[in-house]
Amino acid sequence: MGAYVLRRIGQMIPTLAGVMLLIFVLFNAVGGDPALQLAGKITNKEQIENIRKQLGVDQPMYVQLGYFAFEVATGFNCTWRSYTEKPVPPKVDAKADPKVAPKADAPKGGCEAVRSWATNEEVPKILATRIGPTLTIMIPVLVLETVIALLLAIGVAYMRGTLTDRMIMMLCTVAMSISFLVYIIVAQYFFGFKWGIFPVQGWSDNFWKNVATYAPLPVMLAIFVGLAPALRLYRSFFLDEINNDYVRTARAKGVSENMVMLKHVMRNAMIPILTNVGIALPGIFVGSFLLESFFSIPGLGREILVAVNRSDFPVIKAATVYLAMLTMLINLLVDVLYKAVDPRVTFK
Amino acid sequence: MSQIGISHHRKSETPLRAIRSVVGLLIATIVAAGFVMPAFSAPAEKKVVRLAFRAIETGFDPQRVEDRYSVGICENLFESLLTYDWLARPVRLAPQAVEQVPEGEEGGTRFTFRLKPGIYFAPDPVFKGKKRELVAADVEYAIKRFRDPEVRSPYSWLFEDKIIGLDEYVDKIKKANRKFDYDTRIEGITVRDRYTISFKLREPDYNFIYFFAMPNVVPVAREVIEAYGADTMAHPVGTGPFVLKEWVRASKIVLERNPNYRGHKLNTEFADANDSWDQDAIKSLAGKTLPLIDRVEIYPIEQEQPRYLAFMDLQHDYLEETPLAFVQQLMPNGAKGKLAPVLERRNVRMFREDQPEVVWDAFNMDDPFVGGYKPENIAFRRALVHAHDRPSEIKIVRSGQAIVANSPIGPGVVGFDPTFRTSEQEYDPARARALLDMYGYIDRDKDGWRDMPDGRQIILQYKYQANEQEQRQRAALWIKCLAAVGIRMEAQEVQFSDLIKDRKVGKFQMSGIAWIADYPDAQNFLQLLYGPNTDISNDARFKLAAYDRLYLQALRIPDSPERNKIYREMNRLLAAYAPWRYGVHRSFSHFINPWVRGYKKHPILYTSFKFLDIDVAMQRAATNH
Repeated sequence: MGAYVLRRIGQMIPTLAGVMLLIFVLFNAVGGDPALQLAGKITNKEQIENIRKQLGVDQPMYVQLGYFAFEVATGFNCTWRSYTEKPVPPKVDAKADPKVAPKADAPKGGCEAVRSWATNEEVPKILATRIGPTLTIMIPVLVLETVIALLLAIGVAYMRGTLTDRMIMMLCTVAMSISFLVYIIVAQYFFGFKWGIFPVQGWSDNFWKNVATYAPLPVMLAIFVGLAPALRLYRSFFLDEINNDYVRTARAKGVSENMVMLKHVMRNAMIPILTNVGIALPGIFVGSFLLESFFSIPGLGREILVAVNRSDFPVIKAATVYLAMLTMLINLLVDVLYKAVDPRVTFK
Repeated sequence: MSQIGISHHRKSETPLRAIRSVVGLLIATIVAAGFVMPAFSAPAEKKVVRLAFRAIETGFDPQRVEDRYSVGICENLFESLLTYDWLARPVRLAPQAVEQVPEGEEGGTRFTFRLKPGIYFAPDPVFKGKKRELVAADVEYAIKRFRDPEVRSPYSWLFEDKIIGLDEYVDKIKKANRKFDYDTRIEGITVRDRYTISFKLREPDYNFIYFFAMPNVVPVAREVIEAYGADTMAHPVGTGPFVLKEWVRASKIVLERNPNYRGHKLNTEFADANDSWDQDAIKSLAGKTLPLIDRVEIYPIEQEQPRYLAFMDLQHDYLEETPLAFVQQLMPNGAKGKLAPVLERRNVRMFREDQPEVVWDAFNMDDPFVGGYKPENIAFRRALVHAHDRPSEIKIVRSGQAIVANSPIGPGVVGFDPTFRTSEQEYDPARARALLDMYGYIDRDKDGWRDMPDGRQIILQYKYQANEQEQRQRAALWIKCLAAVGIRMEAQEVQFSDLIKDRKVGKFQMSGIAWIADYPDAQNFLQLLYGPNTDISNDARFKLAAYDRLYLQALRIPDSPERNKIYREMNRLLAAYAPWRYGVHRSFSHFINPWVRGYKKHPILYTSFKFLDIDVAMQRAATNH
């Protein structure tokens, strides 16, 4: 297994390079000029050129791509400070306030953490501080949604063709036909404002307060929206297994229905379910920008949306690369987990 | 007040409340990590104001920020040398960190400011426990920061082509690829003594003093800026009435009183005896040392519904810039009618503010279809203007939250003439058709659409910002209105940065633009049509020698009837040549809960925290905070 994992990690490098190239080309082709956005209301060509120089976007494309690769590899940016003079020595000015002691300029040529173009905040810090609220919402969503969908799916699969099965499937279709935005707006109005069950919006510094007070409504909404497609999908996985010969054999041997469904059927249906969860897993690290935006949750999804609106490329690029890396790592983890779920799986 | 009590009674009685606890408990068991729950943050007796901003802030380095919400916070953390009298209307300059408003010397080319002694910066570790007094060198440092290429100030234009020697120095360091040396003496900036600084300008400019009332143009301590380096956005240290106590970016901004702030007394000299807001402010604030508020909690909420509901749910003490989608619910009979019953029961008050700004549609004067200065070109533009149904824009697109613009100058600023009217900007489709017929813009190829007099097909293009509902609606209105007079138009949605770029280089025919006053003088608006500002701020690329001459003439004259006469003449020229379709001056409705005292919105200043008081008992009874 060790060789397999190493080989897969090796394969990630060219994949990541491809993702980076794609991001770079997309941003440069359709992203617009960030200098224009940062330049202010009244600006001139000279000022725009100065900003482009400061951001390093005046460099040839291959140089910018090199900077980008360096940033991804190290998390540092060495391109912003393009001024090449020696440090300016401090001067003593008798007229100036003696409390103000000017320092020499920092030596030239040092690297610093990649920073947001809009806010000057360090990008790793942005990602680190936003991930907590996102996970506070998205981990419960993923776990609850998967567990509830699994239990309901196995139930309706068992009752296939009955009125209950048909009603649940119909409800799922209706639920899937309505936009997530509609759910949010309606639920926020009724559950938050009209009935006062949950706060309308908000977030606090306290983890437990967030979990107990601010997270429940967004979590419930996300589960409700995600449940219908997951239920339909998992039901089909269970149905595929229920009709297999080994199930008939188990029943013929007198194995109880609970044992048939929960041990044999569920275990065999777990591989496609695991794949589905694996696909959804990277999404929990970027959150739902709609939920975060409507419920004022300072998470990563909202941050990415703000960065897109501000053409804040360092943040967008970092988030995209981070998501790509996570996706690849999670895919690897899921592949390894297949072995645990199904002993027939072998690594080649 | 009784209604507020009823509201909470209702909530406490609901049996569904238990659901929250159950769901919360369920989630808590899933999440692995845990923290100790601290006590509720706000001390009981403190006067706390809670409100929402409708956009996310960027940071609080005054020379680096431009968005009005970040600048609004800076307004409370720092002090500009000048400010505006809180109650005076029209707005009136007043000293803040200086002893008096300076008069222009040497024919309006020199301005000298003398700081009040004994103004101290807020405590900060950089000062190593010592009190740090504000000195003239701090003002010099801040002004230089605007022009430091590394600062990338969005307001660097304020000090471009203004102060003698500053442009030359900036050019020199750029050519030599050197850093800005703040110790280099600039000829036009003289620090005369510890408290006095003087600026010498290239040309007379009586509006120069307005710059020093802007919340960006504030002194900063050099050692603080140098100590925090690239993190100055998160470490604002000023002499203003508040300090930044807590900042969770895009989520929560907490201000608390600056212990080193010397206090401020409300000036009631210019209050309007017939204005109930002024009288309330006097009753609540007069004679007291401001600020009275201990803590301000600001929550940036971009989405309209949660911002509205947070106010309705009493989470926030007032709602500023009410979302258009909810204006009808709060004022069912329009701005002049009564408030919705739920607000009346709560004794909520509404403050309506006509913004010192203008929204317009620019014609590209260099364009072969909509541009030009010949009579037939002017007639074509005027026809387009007459065809545009501006009343519908106000009623439908803006839910009545706007007034008609008759000039490019925003209301409430010096030089704004409320009596100036022009029939050339009225909605009159019959007149539009007549003008088009008269000047030969008729359907020559019988395809149902009008053509140019020389036979070229007319397909006008309207560019607007992508993902902006208001702009999309305005574009749709233009298409509909022009189709009604036989002119074909297409709308093109483009990304914000591309739209700016296209406008700067004249790659558009028509486009909607807005401008909010940076300082309250008509010149701030009229420069948008000054010929030499083409490629800078004159997006219409309007170049008229007579207008440019008047513009320069006005700059050399202080506020006076003579200058107003020049502004009026400039307005006449604009009405005649029609480089813009004047749109509207937007209005905002602000809703204030009854325990908020002294509230009044200033047209230029962004926030009012310094001039607020809270009836804590009433607030607590209503909100349970």
